[in-house]
Amino acid sequence: MRRLAWVVVLAAGVSPALAAQGGTAELLGQAHQFYERLEVERALPLLRQIVSPNWPFEVTPDQRVDAYKYLGACLAVAGKRDSAVLYFRAAIERDPFTDLDPSLFTPAQLATFGEARRRTLAVAVRPVQPARVDPRTARVNFTVVATHAALVDVKLSPSGAGPPLSLFQGTMDGVREIAWDGLLGDRRLAPAGRYTLAVVGRSRVTGASDSARVYFDLRHEVEALEDTLPDLDRRMLLPERISAEAARHDVPKGLGVAAAALLIAGAATGDLGGGERGGAAVVAATAAVTGVVAFLAHRQHGAIPENVAANARRRAERDSANASVRGRNADRIAATLLLVSPAAGKGAGP
Amino acid sequence: MIAGAILGAAPVAAQRSLVVAPLVSLAEHRVDAGFGIERSLGPILGGVGTLRSGPRLTLAVRALGGSLFGAKGVLDRDVGELGVEASVATVPWLSLQAGAAHRAYATKLGRQGWTTVDLGAAARVAFAGGAIHGVWRAALLPVVSVSGLRGPDVAFRAATGLEYRVRAATLGVEYSLERYDFPVEAGVRRLEQLSAVTVRLELRAR
Repeated sequence: MRRLAWVVVLAAGVSPALAAQGGTAELLGQAHQFYERLEVERALPLLRQIVSPNWPFEVTPDQRVDAYKYLGACLAVAGKRDSAVLYFRAAIERDPFTDLDPSLFTPAQLATFGEARRRTLAVAVRPVQPARVDPRTARVNFTVVATHAALVDVKLSPSGAGPPLSLFQGTMDGVREIAWDGLLGDRRLAPAGRYTLAVVGRSRVTGASDSARVYFDLRHEVEALEDTLPDLDRRMLLPERISAEAARHDVPKGLGVAAAALLIAGAATGDLGGGERGGAAVVAATAAVTGVVAFLAHRQHGAIPENVAANARRRAERDSANASVRGRNADRIAATLLLVSPAAGKGAGP
Repeated sequence: MIAGAILGAAPVAAQRSLVVAPLVSLAEHRVDAGFGIERSLGPILGGVGTLRSGPRLTLAVRALGGSLFGAKGVLDRDVGELGVEASVATVPWLSLQAGAAHRAYATKLGRQGWTTVDLGAAARVAFAGGAIHGVWRAALLPVVSVSGLRGPDVAFRAATGLEYRVRAATLGVEYSLERYDFPVEAGVRRLEQLSAVTVRLELRAR
């Protein structure tokens, strides 16, 4: 029982929207059928119902534009040219990309539609389509329209920062494709972020103005970059100078060798005696002198040439490796792809 | 020489390197076989070839030969030796060593052969700057075979010295002593000792 109640509640909430869609679409479909059978008298009331403020069902923007367009077409067939122009203008104002297919409409209808376009200035830009563009070989394309001859200015600007980039400035009439190479005014790749494409037009016929804008998001797709090698810290470098403390240790080291020589010669030989004690004494004296001289020399000079050379070699190897990494990263950055996706927001300009 | 080693040191040897070291020793041989101490002294010439295989393992082959001149009625004798030795570094300053050698003493009366196996360790401590090293070595000889004699009860070798590195050459000065105490036979205990002061010049070839 409880489940049945939920079904009823849900049906009551969903069904009006479905009915509205079905009602408008169904009526529009009937009007199309009447129009195609040249029964314009029967099509007109249906189309008027759709555009009427009293029409109880939801009408999408495309359905409304379609209704206005067929109202104009029907009235043009009926010889009511002024009314036809009026409805065609209503369609054009709502969607400047509206057009009549010459294969489906009569020359009179096309002429009437052309008159409506001449009297109405509207500019628009199609919503940006998702795209993955390699700026080295391809372009991001935008489609703009001016309903009749107009001086049109198309500008691209990063939202929130940076001066706008003029993509087109000149006279146009009708639809035009505008290509963008992905670069900004400084000739650098456009950074990731939200962008606004603004179109401003001023009629060369009536002097009227119109504007439109769309938004899109731009992202970069770039292969992961390599990290450069870190700076060589003290742990990675050999000491280039001998510390005073290390130099001081040379004396006991020399004395250690000297003591060992004397110990071996004296203690180990035991009852055999001899053992070249003179030789041991020479080695002991040499070791002791070495310790003292090394201490004095290191205290005075202190530099370790082989360590200096080894450190220089390590630094050079690191610099070379980092240069290679930077080169590879530069290549990857140069191969950055632009990912374009439409963003929320659309409408007339300021 | 010391100053040269300190101020003109060469870069550290490569991981794999071959070192050839001619050497000259002044050796003294002492024997007490129950008839008093017999002493002989003389020069020994030879060479050591060392192959460093990797950062820790070193293999060495040595060949020595010389004459020891007897004092006060002691027979002169010639001595010759062939030996191999392997060394594994456990920590930077300490390595374990194992080796085997065959030595021959020859007099005009006869010839005596010695075969030894030694196990030991060597410590090398660098002086500041790394161009000079102090070296201490000690080894026990658990296997000693002497022709005509029973093996000794005690046999060891000890040595100490210095190594001075100047560019691709290393000059080593070392005092060493070998001692052999043989078991008592017929109431006599035979003792032998070979001591030497050795100068060795290593020439590094890569």
